[in-house]
Amino acid sequence: MAQKTKKRYAMVLDSRKCIDCKACIVACKAENDVPLGVFRNRIIVEKAGEYPKLRMSFDPEQCHHCENPSCVRVCPTGASYQREDGIVLVKYDDCIGCKYCIIACPYDARYHNPETHTVGKCTFCAHRVDHGELPACVETCPSKVRVFGDLNDPKSELHQLLASRRHQVMNPQTGNGPQLYYLL
Amino acid sequence: MREPVWEYLIVNYLFLGGLSAGLFFVSALATWLQEEGRPAFPHIARWGALLAPWPVSLGSFLLIFDLGKPFRFWKLFFTFHWQSPMSIGSWLLVIFTMLTMAYLWAWLEPEERTRLLNFIPTKVRQRIPVKVVKWLEHDLSFWRRELAMAGFPLAVSVGIYTGVLLGAVQARPFWNTNLVAQMFLFSALSTGTATLILVRLFDKKQPVALAEMRFLYTLDICLILIEFFIVLPYLIHGKLSVLAVQDALAQVLGGPFTFTFWVLFLGCGLLTPLLIELYEFKPVLLGQGPLHINPRWAITAAGLVILGGYVLRYVFVFAGQASGFR
Amino acid sequence: MERRFFMQILGASSLVGVNSACSKWFGKRSSAVPYRLGIPTTCELCPNKCSVLADVKGDRIHKLNPNPANPKSRGMLCARGNAAIQQVYDPDRLKQPMIRVGARGEGKWRTVTWEEAWDFAAEKLKATRDKFGPEGTLWSSTEGFQEVFFKNLGQAFGSPNIQRHPSLCLSSMTLAYSMTFGTVPSFDLLKADYIIMAGANRFESIITPDTMDLIGGTMNRKAKLVYLDPRFTVTAAKADDWFPIRPGSDMAFILAMIHVIIREGKHDKAFLDAFTLGFDQLVEHVKPYTPEWAEGETEIPAADITRIAREFADAAPRAVFYAGRRSSWYQNDFQMRRAQAILNAIVGNWDREGGMVPNRKIAKGEFMFLPWDDPKASRVDEVEKDFPLTSAKDGVYLSLREHVLKGQPYPVKAWMVYKQDPLHSVPDQGKTLKMMEQMDFIGVIDIAMSDTAWYADVIFPESHYLERTDPIEVMPGIWPAAVYRQQVVKPIHDTKPCLEIVQGLAKRLGLNDYFDYTIEQWVEAEAKELPIPNGFEHMKKHGVVASTEAKYGTTRNEAHRFITKSGKIEIFSERLAEAGHDPLPVYTPQPQPPSGKFRLVLGRKATITHAGLAHLPWLNEQVPTNDLWLNPVPAGQMGIRSGDWLEVSSTSGKVKIQARVTDEIRPDCVFMLHGFGKKSPWLKRTFNNGAADAILLETAWDKVSGNAAMHETFVSIVKT
Repeated sequence: MAQKTKKRYAMVLDSRKCIDCKACIVACKAENDVPLGVFRNRIIVEKAGEYPKLRMSFDPEQCHHCENPSCVRVCPTGASYQREDGIVLVKYDDCIGCKYCIIACPYDARYHNPETHTVGKCTFCAHRVDHGELPACVETCPSKVRVFGDLNDPKSELHQLLASRRHQVMNPQTGNGPQLYYLL
Repeated sequence: MREPVWEYLIVNYLFLGGLSAGLFFVSALATWLQEEGRPAFPHIARWGALLAPWPVSLGSFLLIFDLGKPFRFWKLFFTFHWQSPMSIGSWLLVIFTMLTMAYLWAWLEPEERTRLLNFIPTKVRQRIPVKVVKWLEHDLSFWRRELAMAGFPLAVSVGIYTGVLLGAVQARPFWNTNLVAQMFLFSALSTGTATLILVRLFDKKQPVALAEMRFLYTLDICLILIEFFIVLPYLIHGKLSVLAVQDALAQVLGGPFTFTFWVLFLGCGLLTPLLIELYEFKPVLLGQGPLHINPRWAITAAGLVILGGYVLRYVFVFAGQASGFR
Repeated sequence: MERRFFMQILGASSLVGVNSACSKWFGKRSSAVPYRLGIPTTCELCPNKCSVLADVKGDRIHKLNPNPANPKSRGMLCARGNAAIQQVYDPDRLKQPMIRVGARGEGKWRTVTWEEAWDFAAEKLKATRDKFGPEGTLWSSTEGFQEVFFKNLGQAFGSPNIQRHPSLCLSSMTLAYSMTFGTVPSFDLLKADYIIMAGANRFESIITPDTMDLIGGTMNRKAKLVYLDPRFTVTAAKADDWFPIRPGSDMAFILAMIHVIIREGKHDKAFLDAFTLGFDQLVEHVKPYTPEWAEGETEIPAADITRIAREFADAAPRAVFYAGRRSSWYQNDFQMRRAQAILNAIVGNWDREGGMVPNRKIAKGEFMFLPWDDPKASRVDEVEKDFPLTSAKDGVYLSLREHVLKGQPYPVKAWMVYKQDPLHSVPDQGKTLKMMEQMDFIGVIDIAMSDTAWYADVIFPESHYLERTDPIEVMPGIWPAAVYRQQVVKPIHDTKPCLEIVQGLAKRLGLNDYFDYTIEQWVEAEAKELPIPNGFEHMKKHGVVASTEAKYGTTRNEAHRFITKSGKIEIFSERLAEAGHDPLPVYTPQPQPPSGKFRLVLGRKATITHAGLAHLPWLNEQVPTNDLWLNPVPAGQMGIRSGDWLEVSSTSGKVKIQARVTDEIRPDCVFMLHGFGKKSPWLKRTFNNGAADAILLETAWDKVSGNAAMHETFVSIVKT
């Protein structure tokens, strides 16, 4: 196991299964002590049509842990960084709160923490993942929209889903190389 | 769209940084242009030198207080991230500010320097090693020209940097074009010129000379024209670009920033002063004699240029953050 | 405090853990992950009782995580479950016993010792007993693991007036299915291929495992979902067909489906012959109920009704008309549910994979306590006389209130409330307030200052579920489970579990002998007979014993006797006829709102289902207030735009609320969320914020079960 290829964490989302129940959002808040008013993940609701022909769809959103994260690039102190396994994190002690990364993120995934005055974001629950557990949002999800795993592990469910199902990433034109894969 | 996270402090910072760059640039030009071995426009040069360090210092000070963690700003200077415009810019600003300080020192008369040093309380002064005092008292006036030469690229870089800080963010289509850096640069130089026009007009001790005004007008007309011809392709290009850019641009084409952009920036801040200055300059252009100097018109034009520079940064900071890919 | 909880299972493999049968869609991902530190317990934020692993850091609960060992909760924990921590650490929760000093509702309290609170309440209860007899006391509660102790205290005290919650909930549904099948079955949404849901907004009002099975079924297996609701809900958005049916006409839709199925011979003849009674009467009965007729009632095209009936019958037995479990809608609710039950019966989906499956149970022991005498008086709501078919032990809430207000047949002057906020859960708040006014004494046991607690005389603060140990609860179902709730942290304030509160009162009321036990003794007795060795230890370690293997067809043999009068599935019910009700569901058109008025319909959101939840910060920031949904057509006529303030009134009361003009509702209906417009300032996020539906709802109940009918209120709207 130890000598295998390097890990690359990613997430697959089956938005059709999302029922907008907010369990992921509240679980994230509890797990990561996210203050009121700011969010590490959210659900984008899209509505269309006129009564009685209506449509409504939900897309869970959070940090895409991009291949070329623009937030990391613009950070002037190196507080924003990317781990070997692809997880993008903030070293809170090095963050000066310039908010440049918030602006540089095409997915609006970062926020200014009004309590610590540093920048916060989804960590893929790295502290849980490092103990072999799932991110809080993935584990708690009632309709199991989310599949978390290692892109480089051909045996992972994530890898198999991406191999067998059509999928897309959001706004690839930003050039960031987002790593949240939405099944079609 | 999300709430803006960069607000007026950033607008001020970009404006003030640009203003210093402009002041230094014009002052350096005035120093560098020589007539009979002496600076052609010594009063412009001196005023520019005296003013240049302050806006950028104030701006940096404001910026630090816009940080979530102001007392961690020193972390900026213990690293260098060449891919981060802010990291580059922080270093650039520090070097530029130091240079403008030295340049200011170089433009002070000996007695002014002594007077300034006398401001330091005697007790403190006695503790400063003699070497340092000597060094502080050093006459740099000989280096004015060299400092001006060295400062040119820095001033231009600072002007460009204020634009690159925004333009280098690919997530914000409103900003993500090289034209923003150019626009900000020429706007910065223009606000510097306008400030010097104002200062010279208000200087009662050494009333402004015709040649000085001609120099400043020539410069400002050129700068405004260049800026205008950057804004124009910015709009045309944006309109013809991909959807995200079109959507971003819609904010000034019917969106919430339309009035501010077209009336306050383009109308009041760019075209009106251009017309005033061209009118004043008309006799020279047509070879009919010296330019008019109607102080009221000149003050109005210069004031509008400064206002335009501020509004430009306001529109870009706020509209840019509201732009995105969905 | 923390102990390692392992997924590997004791010998009985069919009993514990998530096995392949139901983990196909849900369990796999969770079980692929090694297990974590956590104290297993059981969530209490809604009736689903999901299994939880509490992650405690130091002495603080850090996070609640789902416990996949319970197949019913399908390895999930919803937003409400996650937000439970905020109830524990709510700075405004009830922290010590309090006695009222000012007028009722004035909010002036004196904090007292437990002894003082018990003495005070016991004095008042004794005074009431002396004056009016024990029947002069009312004991009302909502279901919960410790409700049994509260209920027992009321009974031991000698009161017949134990008022439980089913008549505000699902009693019309349970009665209708019981009258038909002798039991209330579950619906196997994990395997069903064709599901019809009427008003059961399963994707917003989460029911385990149905919600999870349905989303997995519709999205992974492409099961078909037909959904009827005057509102465009999340369930509507996910459905293959959504019809904004005319409110009150669901029965017409069902009868027309039965008509089509019988006309086209698509019913399961063999099953009907073998197991049912009264099919021949049904054939005659549904003749007039053609799809064309139903189109006029329901506004659903006859062609669609016919198509759905055919598809439904063709998909049977993997087809279900889902019962739903919310309160009654209309006064004919029981008969509408009967029609559903009959529709399910005729396609033979009974006890089949993907159909309707009778519940199984996990056996558990009972703690033997000293029994008491039956109360001498009969119930004040005269259930036996007015609603002979419904469960007398649960009572009929609305009828009870009418009787208490009239003082007929006898006065009721003291009210003990446990885990319930009648001011919000019972329609017509004005009447409930009047009922409170005429009480000599009101005592409330709760974890938070509910509106009812705000009007009480004495408040007993109960420990939160994460702070106490509760009895073992058996949850019947296709995947039955027994779950255990154990203390995760010590009470952080001067609170006590319900049992200890009850014991304190019992001691002072001379009933000590009936409550002379500890919670540990109680649980131990229950755990002894769990189908697992070392049951008590197992429950402490795992929190759940469950069967993960669904069993189908156990009742599909000729020898099986259904618990009905005839021992068969009763399509035609003689008992109903004897009780003076229609033996087969007869459709009568329900009144429609007169012009200028709107029908108020209710519903839930996944974050806000119960009256106390909107106060929790994490849930409140998702839905900060409630508003009144109004279709753009009437809104346009009345010049109303989103955000306008409206005065909404019914014969019960009026409220001020902001408008939300939306296409997601029928033009003749309005909708508002439950749980806002609180009078208690201690619920600061919902205090004076939004409006309370209970103020508007009028008193109406289902004729057979007495279940509160919640969609019978017509409101007028004025822009202010």
